[in-house]
Amino acid sequence: MKFITKKPPIVSSPDKSYKRLLSLHIALIITSISAIFMNGFYNIPEEAGYNLDQSFTVFSMIVIGAIVAFLVELVYALSEGDTTKFNSYRGFVDPINTGILIALLLPITTPVYVLVLAVIVGTYVGKIVFGGRGYYIFNPALVGVLFATISFSSQLGFAEDVVTPLQGLKLVFTDGAMQVLSMQELLIGNFAEIAVGSTSIIVLILLFIYLTNTKVIDLRISGTFLLTVLFMSFGIGYILWAFDNGSTIGYMIVNLLTGLTLFGAVFFVSESVSTPTSRETKLIYGVTVGLLMMLFRTVSENVEGLIYAVLFGNMITPFINRTVKRSNAKSLRITVAVLIVIVLIATAAIGFMLQGQLIELQPAAETALMMGGMM
Amino acid sequence: MITNFKEFKSPARVYIPLTDKEYKLANVKVQVNDSVLKGQVLAYKFKGKVKYPVISSVSGTVVEFKEMMDRYGKIVDHCVIQNDMENKQVELKKYENPTAAQIRTALYQVGLDTMNVDGSFTPLDFEHYNIDHVFINAIFVNEPHYSIEYSFLQENANKISEGVGFIAKAALTENITVFIDKNMPQEVMEQVGIACADKNINFVSIDPRNVDGKALKYIHKTLGSKLGNNILAAGGMYMDCESCKTVYDVVVEGKVPAERNVVLSGDGIKSNAVIQTVSGALLSDMIEFVDGYNEVDEMVCHIGDFLTGTQVTTDEIAVTLTVNAVNFSEYGEEEEDVCIKCGDCNDVCPVGILPQNIMDAELRSVSDRIVELNTDECIECGLCTYVCPSKINVLEWVRRARRRVG
Repeated sequence: MKFITKKPPIVSSPDKSYKRLLSLHIALIITSISAIFMNGFYNIPEEAGYNLDQSFTVFSMIVIGAIVAFLVELVYALSEGDTTKFNSYRGFVDPINTGILIALLLPITTPVYVLVLAVIVGTYVGKIVFGGRGYYIFNPALVGVLFATISFSSQLGFAEDVVTPLQGLKLVFTDGAMQVLSMQELLIGNFAEIAVGSTSIIVLILLFIYLTNTKVIDLRISGTFLLTVLFMSFGIGYILWAFDNGSTIGYMIVNLLTGLTLFGAVFFVSESVSTPTSRETKLIYGVTVGLLMMLFRTVSENVEGLIYAVLFGNMITPFINRTVKRSNAKSLRITVAVLIVIVLIATAAIGFMLQGQLIELQPAAETALMMGGMM
Repeated sequence: MITNFKEFKSPARVYIPLTDKEYKLANVKVQVNDSVLKGQVLAYKFKGKVKYPVISSVSGTVVEFKEMMDRYGKIVDHCVIQNDMENKQVELKKYENPTAAQIRTALYQVGLDTMNVDGSFTPLDFEHYNIDHVFINAIFVNEPHYSIEYSFLQENANKISEGVGFIAKAALTENITVFIDKNMPQEVMEQVGIACADKNINFVSIDPRNVDGKALKYIHKTLGSKLGNNILAAGGMYMDCESCKTVYDVVVEGKVPAERNVVLSGDGIKSNAVIQTVSGALLSDMIEFVDGYNEVDEMVCHIGDFLTGTQVTTDEIAVTLTVNAVNFSEYGEEEEDVCIKCGDCNDVCPVGILPQNIMDAELRSVSDRIVELNTDECIECGLCTYVCPSKINVLEWVRRARRRVG
């Protein structure tokens, strides 16, 4: 017997990064199953009953995404001459997660070559170029999706008669056409959406709780983000339809539950590698992403805006990280106070701008869809 | 659960280290073949001009002076005493209702200055710092992983509460905070409550199963200033309840402080136990006393707290009053993952600095940023490494950063 020294601490918490990765993996598989089901049995003309073709399309998209992402990592590992990480399932989890996420973010009409290109760009340019998991600056899945939406916006086109609830909100300003949605349909997910994965609200809320408990989601980021969206959409709606409570609540619910808001809160907004690391900066990041998303949704041409908002947040993360020196109660109080003021001002500014009291907006309908008009 | 309680009070030979981490020089007062009493001064150790006595823990004959490894892993001179098993001790003055100066003198006479060295515990130094607040940790050492029946606390509740009072009196302060275990059995809790009824003590209950540095966070908040590595300099005195009991024994009962409860634990030894021993007993003798080692090729011998202790390369170590626990476990290196920047270490840090950002700055070798991030305030509690899901030794990176900026 021999005594060996090892730097203390000699014990560590049972929490492991791999466990978190695996929880995300499980959550993504559940979302995929839900997406396959939802696209086959809901979201289709009522007389058809079910549409297994759509289910199969979604299934093949997810499988292709996962396989291509894995192949990209494998080719890179082969070129480096070290494939030991693929000896166990451990090495497969991360590439598969990225692949599934990209597939879930694209619309159902995506051609296969666009999907493949998006996954290659996301995994290689978004992740491997920076040094792989743990080192990337931008969320790899969003890099891939951004590439697809910018480069292939016409190929990703949707049928004209399909109007998502968020697009409907834009049409309110141009056509004055209000849409009617029932709360039950909304929760089940029976409404038109662009991304194939962002359908069932109930599943997403359950996954949100599960991932918060397994520490994959940091509530300080995702919670702040959701609160910002909730408050801003309520404020903007209140200013737009002063005293008409029904419209305000409707505006808030559509912004909070449809589109990529919840899907983003679960899967990208608090993705740990590309987000800030300390308490105050996490709050700043959550508010920044929420505020930018609402700005894109209301003022710009974008219907969705989440992808740009999160990528912008990723971009400024190194900068936000550099601004903090320590974390204590005083800096937390200052941060929270400043953030609340910023959200209030932004809400009021956007609300009055839309109402036409600050700036006269050009009617948006005639202008051609610009870059990124898809999302 | 460790319920095995054993007494190992009369080893054949005791080995008293003459110097330690703080006191680097010693002036020996005895010679080989001298007979000594329990509590007799063997030497005076020096830290600059500060002089403290080193006392014998048994009565007997000085056999030799020997170079051995001490519990910090350094080779120092030890005074070896053959135990005559008679336990004759020097006469010490007993005080019924002592003043601050009398308590200080009583503690000085028997050389009781340090009883806890791991983590953020402070020595019993009343002379060189102004103490505003006394903190007592009544939670079992290494608590997140083992728990004992709190029989020590229950039996000695009155003595401990008196001892706490004496320490606060000697430190000329009335602010006392005691950290207690939230999951402590009800009857122990009651016993402690009765003992401390009229003492004006502030209790803070902590759930030790969540390793989140709540006690240290509380101390940092109370003292309200930079803690640094030295809580004493910030005006706080922090120790465990066994020290308080020893202080009571010295002041009121005139006992020589030689006994210590040591927890032997880990999968490297056959049976885990709490051993009541005397300072100077050899660790290897104690292991033999508890049935010896298991068949393990490579082992880690960790002295002190899990998160902050020290490690030694031999078991020929003299246990001193500062050893509260020894863990023998199989050497197992956990696989390090990449940093996923989750920020758990930033959240848990009791002094509110940002270990992840410091590690990042150290990786990029930016000295300015390391200084800017208040790296000097680190108290080396080890919580950042404990919580890391990627099993990175964050504390070691922070230490490197500190060395870089000096």
